[in-house]
Amino acid sequence: MNLNKYPLKAEQTLMVFEFISEGPKGNVAKIVQYSETNLKGFYNLGFGDKNEKTGEIIDDVITNNNDSQIVLATVASTVYAFTDKYPDTWIFATGLTKSRTRLYRMGITNNLIEIQKNFHVYGLRDNKWQKFKKDMEYEAFLVKRKK
Amino acid sequence: MMDIKKLNKKKLPIVKIDKSLEKFKDKILFKDKLENANQVLKTIGLPK
Repeated sequence: MNLNKYPLKAEQTLMVFEFISEGPKGNVAKIVQYSETNLKGFYNLGFGDKNEKTGEIIDDVITNNNDSQIVLATVASTVYAFTDKYPDTWIFATGLTKSRTRLYRMGITNNLIEIQKNFHVYGLRDNKWQKFKKDMEYEAFLVKRKK
Repeated sequence: MMDIKKLNKKKLPIVKIDKSLEKFKDKILFKDKLENANQVLKTIGLPK
């Protein structure tokens, strides 16, 4: 994805990333966490804001920092970093709200050709996983690095 | 030194290791989403 991205920090295992969103609302620390689900090798991608004063993590908040494309591209770049370290994992992602899930879908759609060079991408629709197609609504996404 | 344009074209990002993030490693920060993922994977299963 040839989009601008924010610089990333992470702890050693690359399960937790942090970057700083910059915009009219100021600098906002964002956290991305990969947590293993009950299914071995399947990780949930969690994403939210970190309150710098309290350290509290707020899930899926809408910051309105006018940089959603850069934020999405940065989150996507963590997928590259994570799957480079853990190439056999699957990543599950969804938004807490329909509008947030739609934003994720648009992010995938706008970069689908590039993403599909490196990843298998599935969308959840009608209680089934389907190969991701443009212009379809999905409830969640699964991606796996191609070998 | 690599310029910003070249850096942004790279798919694999440069990640600076920050030990202060270790404190989050063993915590579940996005519990609702993880529970949702577990529920979906349990009921829907995997892609065929």
